[in-house]
Amino acid sequence: MPKLQINGDIREFTPEEFPALLSELLKMLGLNEVAIIAEIDGKIVKKESFALTQLTDGMKIELVKFVGGG
Amino acid sequence: MNNDKLVIGGREFNSRLFVGTGKFSSSETMSQALKASESEMVTVALRRVDIGDPGDDMLEKIDMKQCQLLPNTSGARDAQEAIRVAMLSREASGINWIKLEVTPDPYYLLPDPIETLKATVELVKAGFIVLPYINADPILALHLQDAGAATVMPLGSPIGSNRGIQTRANIEIIIEQARVPVVVDAGLGLPSHAAEAMEMGADAVLVNTALAVAQDPVLIAEAFKLAVLAGRAAFLAGPGSVKKHAEASSPLTGFLD
Repeated sequence: MPKLQINGDIREFTPEEFPALLSELLKMLGLNEVAIIAEIDGKIVKKESFALTQLTDGMKIELVKFVGGG
Repeated sequence: MNNDKLVIGGREFNSRLFVGTGKFSSSETMSQALKASESEMVTVALRRVDIGDPGDDMLEKIDMKQCQLLPNTSGARDAQEAIRVAMLSREASGINWIKLEVTPDPYYLLPDPIETLKATVELVKAGFIVLPYINADPILALHLQDAGAATVMPLGSPIGSNRGIQTRANIEIIIEQARVPVVVDAGLGLPSHAAEAMEMGADAVLVNTALAVAQDPVLIAEAFKLAVLAGRAAFLAGPGSVKKHAEASSPLTGFLD
């Protein structure tokens, strides 16, 4: 089964449901693209590239956002 | 006082009170406290999204026209991690301002001077406006300003401790030597602590916990605003010197002789 490591957790997908693009993954997870910052395998993905970024088996994805802080 | 502007990174600030957004009971309370503080510099942190509970977009609660957003690198334990967080923050927000925090020890959260200096050098090179959080170390402050830091932000006491200014003597030296604005950050628990920093000649103060954990964050935000104004005015007024003996306020010339 193809998998992605998302924020440290491994997620498995059936080949049919494996998201082809980063934007599809965010939609699948119910996340608001505007507020999210993504890093794939240690490289920052620019927001305008979310819909162009292809996902492949085994990628490590970090999804972060701004929260309250001092 | 009206012409008394603080300039950092080419931007003018009317308010000398910087406010953090952590630990408030709700985004609504945070937003109201920010308004009451009249702050124009507001810190935020970057964290992993909780996939199960992503929460709302807290940036919507901050008036970006009024405030300079100042992302921090909290959670970074060394220069490399701080630089990574700064790069992500810039990508996320389009803002090249960064409050640099490198705290390897979660118990006291004291900043690592060596890693902070390393990260400052790299981030300045990468085009960031860097505001480093430091211990009250005058020599480090000089190294950082030489490295291009936009301010130095010495701590009064450990983050969130509400203990006030325990590092007074060293902060005085930092202020005396600084060519960049000095922002007293961390440990200020009461408006009187903020006023003390401003009376000493600090250019600004940063508070978060003191507001967030108060029973009425909005009211204490207003109190901090007033304290910063009062302390700044007192500094500009040039207060009298401290003396060992009495000096009469009323004339001592002949009376009922």
